[in-house]
Amino acid sequence: LFQGVRQAQWLTKTKLVEGLPPPVLSIIDNPAHQLDDYEEGVKRAISHARFWNTTEVAPRREYYCPVLFEDLVHLCRMMSAKYPPLAKRMLARNYKIAATWERESILLQIRGLNGILMNSMAPIPPVASKEEVLATKEHVLETFYPISPTIDLQEVNVYKELNDTGFRDGYPYSHPHTLFFLESANVRPKRFRPEQLRAKMLMFAFGNALAKAKVLYGNDPKVLEQPIVVQSIGTDGQLFQFMVFQLNTTDLVSNDGIKNLVWIDSDQNLYEKAQCVPEIKKKVVTKPAGIYGFQPDTFKKFLALYLHGTV
Amino acid sequence: GTVAPGAAGIPEPAAGAAPCLDLAELRSLACDALLQESFYQNKKRPFLYRDQEHMPAPFLTQLVSTLAASLSGRNPLLAASSMDLNAEVNYYWHHGEEVVVHGHRKGRVDPVRFQIDDNPHLQIRVSKQLPEFVPLESDLGDVPIIDHKPSKLPLFKKQYENKVFIGSKVADPCCYGHTQFHLIPDKLKRERFIRACLEDQIEVVYRSNGIASLFAWTAAQAMYQGFWHEADVTRPFVSQAIVTDGKYFAFFCYQLNTLALTVEAIKNNPRKNICWGTESKPLYEVVEDGSVKGFNDEVLLELVCFLLNRPR
Repeated sequence: LFQGVRQAQWLTKTKLVEGLPPPVLSIIDNPAHQLDDYEEGVKRAISHARFWNTTEVAPRREYYCPVLFEDLVHLCRMMSAKYPPLAKRMLARNYKIAATWERESILLQIRGLNGILMNSMAPIPPVASKEEVLATKEHVLETFYPISPTIDLQEVNVYKELNDTGFRDGYPYSHPHTLFFLESANVRPKRFRPEQLRAKMLMFAFGNALAKAKVLYGNDPKVLEQPIVVQSIGTDGQLFQFMVFQLNTTDLVSNDGIKNLVWIDSDQNLYEKAQCVPEIKKKVVTKPAGIYGFQPDTFKKFLALYLHGTV
Repeated sequence: GTVAPGAAGIPEPAAGAAPCLDLAELRSLACDALLQESFYQNKKRPFLYRDQEHMPAPFLTQLVSTLAASLSGRNPLLAASSMDLNAEVNYYWHHGEEVVVHGHRKGRVDPVRFQIDDNPHLQIRVSKQLPEFVPLESDLGDVPIIDHKPSKLPLFKKQYENKVFIGSKVADPCCYGHTQFHLIPDKLKRERFIRACLEDQIEVVYRSNGIASLFAWTAAQAMYQGFWHEADVTRPFVSQAIVTDGKYFAFFCYQLNTLALTVEAIKNNPRKNICWGTESKPLYEVVEDGSVKGFNDEVLLELVCFLLNRPR
């Protein structure tokens, strides 16, 4: 997506709010959750992913990015000893999503494998109050005249307008909770840049929410009484992007009326640098091996998004 | 390696079976994982000869992660454990002697070199050693003697790189093994053996996988702690493994009592390594219409006991 998040906003009729929404921030600030105990565990997870994982001296990104993700989710999952409802979550890998919608007479669709989805039995309660949702009526979507918003989307002939959440009916973990995107390609051109990654996260969070809305409330475009919330976390093994998306309306054809909302916290580093081999200049160790610039707040946000909806 | 044949059944210390274990809860978690992977998630047809990746592999990952998470309250060792997907385990050792056949070193006596390169599907490593099952010097049976070289089978012929690795480097604080999970590859599926009228070989696959992988893992752990064939282990190294094809599970416990397997070291070495193992049993009968039929609680209980194992 050329214009990144702004283009994704137009395509999904969404208003952007910087930073994470208040319910998530309150989880982070709540001392009862004792998010500080996990610092040791997180440092161990980073060292494991970046240093110890393979027999090579410096594991490559395609190894360390998924390993870091698995270790962080493992840490989060261990919290279900403290909060039993957390056990009602299921990770789904390699699942396919399909969603179709119309924007100003352009038919758009999202299909295919996207990321790793965490499903939960209970939906996340709406993050924005009703007043905030109504206030989006006033918001005007940015356009980038003369560039058309669909400039670099793939044009295909659609024979079936498909809407599929990826799972059959009767699935007990029926609410999409968080989507995880891992940019683990070794070569830089094959990875998404942060702006494009955020746009991709927005598009797929929207797609998942829309497919779920159509299953719950039918295909007619309408304003949703109970907005659907889907979260999204994207990373390349070091930089994290956090996103909370709330679907307020499936009436997407016109540019007026209630808009959807998204909160984005972008470019959060978990650590500055992971030195695999000590840097030696003129036979003196100038920089010993290890993790530099560790930011515990990034993991706190990761954990807060994981716990959101249950605590 | 020198390994005593498995005594049937699993030694009791694997329990410590906590009172009031919520079996119904664990059963529902296991069934949910199974149903998601085999029924609810819309998947395309599996690729040719890659059936294992389609259902059993994701099911095993889901099952172990959710069970470990819900049992972490009872076993603090699990809460601080390190779980690895597709880990790598390597071990290299010498055992026995052979005469070099051709080449410029013809006629000289060389030790036979063995290298195991294993790829368990899931590996749980912890920071404390599991307790021993039997004392270090116990002798539970005799080791069969094989006269011909392993390369006749052919086994251990291609050794690309001789290395020792438990799944992560020496600096990792989680340096002791807890449990490994192995998936039987597609070429060794049950159906193939039954079609070829080789039913008695099915258990052999499970057993050999268990013994070889566990020996490599425990011996590599011992090497990480500084023991080798000249300085034998002073305490037993214990690990567990579960070998499965997605439906049938076989459980193995291994106790490494000795690393001294080279020709000089083995002369005065009465110790033997011991492996206990069960036969493979099905976890469920069939999945039909969104429900699991014939769920076997015993197998689940065994799995839970394995995960709950910890030092006293």
